[in-house]
Amino acid sequence: MTMTMARERDAEKLLEVRDVVQEFAVRGPGGVKGAKVHAVSGVSFDMWRGETLGVVGETGSGKSTLARSIIQAPRPKSGVVRFLGTDLMKLGRRALTEARRQMQMVYQDPYGSLDPRWTVLELVEEPLLGYKVGTKAQRRERACELLDLVGMDPGVFGRRRPHELSGGQCQRVAIARAIALNPALIVCDEAVASLDVLIQAQVLNLFERLRTELGLSYLFISHDLALVKQVSDRVAVMHLGQLVEIGPSEELYRRPLHPYTSALLDSIPGLDPATGKVRRPTAPKGEPPSPINPPSGCRFRTRCPLAQERCAQEVPKLRELFPGHQVACHFPLATPDAAATDGAASASGNGAATAGDAART
Amino acid sequence: MAAVDAPVATVAEVDAPRPRRAWARRLSLWVPAGLTAFVFLACFLGPVVLPIPAPVGGNVLESSLPSFSPGHLLGTDPNGNDILSRILHGGRASLFVAVTVNLIGLAVGGLLGALSAYIGGKVDTVIMRVLDVLIAFPSLVLTLAVAQSLGPSLTNTIFALAFFSIPAVARVARAATLSLRELPFMTAAELAGTPWWRMLLRHIVPNIAPQLITFSMLGMGTVIVIEGALSFLGLGIPAPNPSWGNMISEGQASLSATPDLVIWPSLALFVTVLAFNLLGEALRTHWSGR
Amino acid sequence: MSGEPTARRTEEVLDLALPTTARGPSPGGPLLEVRDLRVRFTRGGRVVNAVNGLSYTLDAGEILAIIGESGSGKSVSTRSLMGLLPPSAQVSGSAKFEGTELIGMPEKEMRAWRGAKIAMVFQDPARSLNPTMRIGAQIVEAIRTHRKVSKKEAAERAVELLKLVRLPAAERRFYEYPHQLSGGMRQRVVIAIALASEPRLLIADEATTALDVTTQAQIMELLVELQQRLGTAIIMISHDLGLAASYAHKVVVMYAGRAVEYASAEKLFANVRMPYTRALLGAIPLLDRKTHELLPVIPGQPPDPAALPKGCAFRPRCDVATDKCLEAPPLKEHEPGHWWACWHPAGSEDTAAGGRAGGRADEVRVGSARQVEDGA
Repeated sequence: MTMTMARERDAEKLLEVRDVVQEFAVRGPGGVKGAKVHAVSGVSFDMWRGETLGVVGETGSGKSTLARSIIQAPRPKSGVVRFLGTDLMKLGRRALTEARRQMQMVYQDPYGSLDPRWTVLELVEEPLLGYKVGTKAQRRERACELLDLVGMDPGVFGRRRPHELSGGQCQRVAIARAIALNPALIVCDEAVASLDVLIQAQVLNLFERLRTELGLSYLFISHDLALVKQVSDRVAVMHLGQLVEIGPSEELYRRPLHPYTSALLDSIPGLDPATGKVRRPTAPKGEPPSPINPPSGCRFRTRCPLAQERCAQEVPKLRELFPGHQVACHFPLATPDAAATDGAASASGNGAATAGDAART
Repeated sequence: MAAVDAPVATVAEVDAPRPRRAWARRLSLWVPAGLTAFVFLACFLGPVVLPIPAPVGGNVLESSLPSFSPGHLLGTDPNGNDILSRILHGGRASLFVAVTVNLIGLAVGGLLGALSAYIGGKVDTVIMRVLDVLIAFPSLVLTLAVAQSLGPSLTNTIFALAFFSIPAVARVARAATLSLRELPFMTAAELAGTPWWRMLLRHIVPNIAPQLITFSMLGMGTVIVIEGALSFLGLGIPAPNPSWGNMISEGQASLSATPDLVIWPSLALFVTVLAFNLLGEALRTHWSGR
Repeated sequence: MSGEPTARRTEEVLDLALPTTARGPSPGGPLLEVRDLRVRFTRGGRVVNAVNGLSYTLDAGEILAIIGESGSGKSVSTRSLMGLLPPSAQVSGSAKFEGTELIGMPEKEMRAWRGAKIAMVFQDPARSLNPTMRIGAQIVEAIRTHRKVSKKEAAERAVELLKLVRLPAAERRFYEYPHQLSGGMRQRVVIAIALASEPRLLIADEATTALDVTTQAQIMELLVELQQRLGTAIIMISHDLGLAASYAHKVVVMYAGRAVEYASAEKLFANVRMPYTRALLGAIPLLDRKTHELLPVIPGQPPDPAALPKGCAFRPRCDVATDKCLEAPPLKEHEPGHWWACWHPAGSEDTAAGGRAGGRADEVRVGSARQVEDGA
């Protein structure tokens, strides 16, 4: 917690996102214009240089859409996206291209993010070419350096094409390409979700190594909460287009404030490799609502054990309850007044949201 | 449960061993390729290399000779022109038209479709509506109309047929580009600062080329047939220059008496179209197989 | 902060004797006995050894987890039980279900078995359901395939099944189409179809991989409930060790088509032996780890089933491999109830049980052209 505060004071603010809204039209049966999907509904957060911010959420939470909105591909419907001080929403095409030099993205599909007809070296050189960096020879040299950095021998892999590589290798190429211009921010959109566990670990370690060596900042998006906690300093939890909680990863995990975060944590099988002890997950009740017709007010209320009338009438606003820890809930699981006692019950006087609550440190 | 035992019981059936399949697949590519090559060579090199008389200005005294007559392998037509010669020269004309039309279709249609899909929005809608209108016309009617108003000649035939080919290719190119646009590597290229023209030339074109080429291969056959129809109707290659279409047209009058006049050009047309179709199919399997 | 992260979770640890109904070897022997199952394909002139000797037993009402990465052969092995492999597959070995040999069973007989005695649930519920048919109709069809009942009776049974899988508003959903349901609900419908003729064994092939973690927890709870109420045995195929640990009675870990470790879940996780299993365990990001901690990794990637290394398939990536490993270690019951196939299992020479879970921390150095040797 103190680390984040220190960052606030000393470090530069990388990203300032305010009230971003993104919607999609959905075609009804027969191709007729149907309903609107409320993919991202008013999300705001900050991000500082040097930190890894994890964004976690399930299907339909809008996390990927949020990532795309930030890089303006496509531009969100409304809101402010201030990157290194400049509002990207207001930039024209050319200025946007220039601003985007500092942000890159690594995608989920290792093969889909590489043109199948290009060689590995060409792919890694592409950003250098696009931004007209150096001469042809210099670009080639830099590309080889980058491949080395991600642990791939340019002599062996340079002339290969994506279909000749494994999934993990493709992701390494994608990462090499992403760091080519020394960007300030790298957005990882489920970057390891398609990889096998052992390969995933290798790639995650690569991310960590590059982070410390090159001083990168990551916006790490995933549906896997354990994974996100592993790599992130802070974690933002999204539910159906709304940002429901954001705070330091250790604290979020130890003391979640939002019932949804708590439900997420309880759904994960917990395995202690040292002792082999297991914690069996507890499933939440109810079905996730549809992003086309989201519930009024707080969108989690249909599944929330603490929901009351107020939750249907008023959309909860994100507010900071503990230093660096914000939550958007009318009845959060812990409040500063009650924080003195361990295992704080919610303000409504109800019991803990789940059985697990009672045992929390 | 014991350690690994000697395997118990049955072995289920085994198919024909795979190596034969690969060999068969290679054959399915090279046979039509060879056939197509043969057709081209025969029509373009044949008259140069072999002792074949000219296709026009034949000796009237040698008219209407049947097939396998000495000096005229396939006989002569009522004007005394050697049929084999007319077929080969006619082939030149037909093939030239087909190839040119397809190249124009690929270049113009391909680029148009790709650009339309890439730019999207209103531009895309407008272009597509125009193309839709053109496609809506029955191809023959459209080309007939154009040929009719321009008059019969080689160039005009090409122009008329292009009207038919361009929208077709454009539609395929557009569909292919649309699905390509969704792939992450396109966004990645954008983020890498790649300008639109490099996106088009180095990302889009190489990836849609296989689809377009196979499509136009399959369309070759159609183009030749339509050209044949135009010539048959007197709107294509003007007489006395031979083309398979007008040969069939002329021979049609005396079909019962001298069927050869119709049979040989029809056979040539058939073989050529078949070769192109098979080649197109083989290319499609070959390229999508990877 | 002061919190010991482990404290939060282990306090809620359930005793590993998972609550179950009566389970155990039925008087007639185990429900399913697989011995030295091998599956081979010939593809483009190369021989692909998808499964190279898999053996395990499953008792009635037990939950067995088959864990492996891509290419380990886990899916192929269960498909061979159901006769769902392409005709070019060569299958050898034995798989006796209630005493009847499944390998080599003619298709006609197999069709009577499939769905009736053994049912399968796949990964993508959207693809398992016919989008143009109403849900109720699909279940009715499944019921009437194996039993001669009237449409009305089948419909009633279908609604019962939907209630059994806890589909909310079952009567209404009967008339709905798959696209009107969420992923989790669709998977429930698929399970209902699988249960239509009360199979003794349900095979869940990555059935929850495509689902959200909350939905996954719901579906797994459902499966456990079904196991308890109906006594159905379940084989769950997954790459997720955490899932196996939470729900399975027994675990088989597969690598390159072979079973490399096999034990009850308690025994396995208390005392992991096989270096590969330890590596898998070590590589899972767990809530209890420290942020930014490097994961212990092993280099390389799983071998190509068409080009398996000599001896132990894991040898090229194993950090305790010796020349002895050029000879494939057999799967043996080294301790009661715990089989493994390794010459140098953990706990033999090195540190005591638990401790460092597998592999060394990543050592890839900066800037050096250290190759990732054909690995990821």
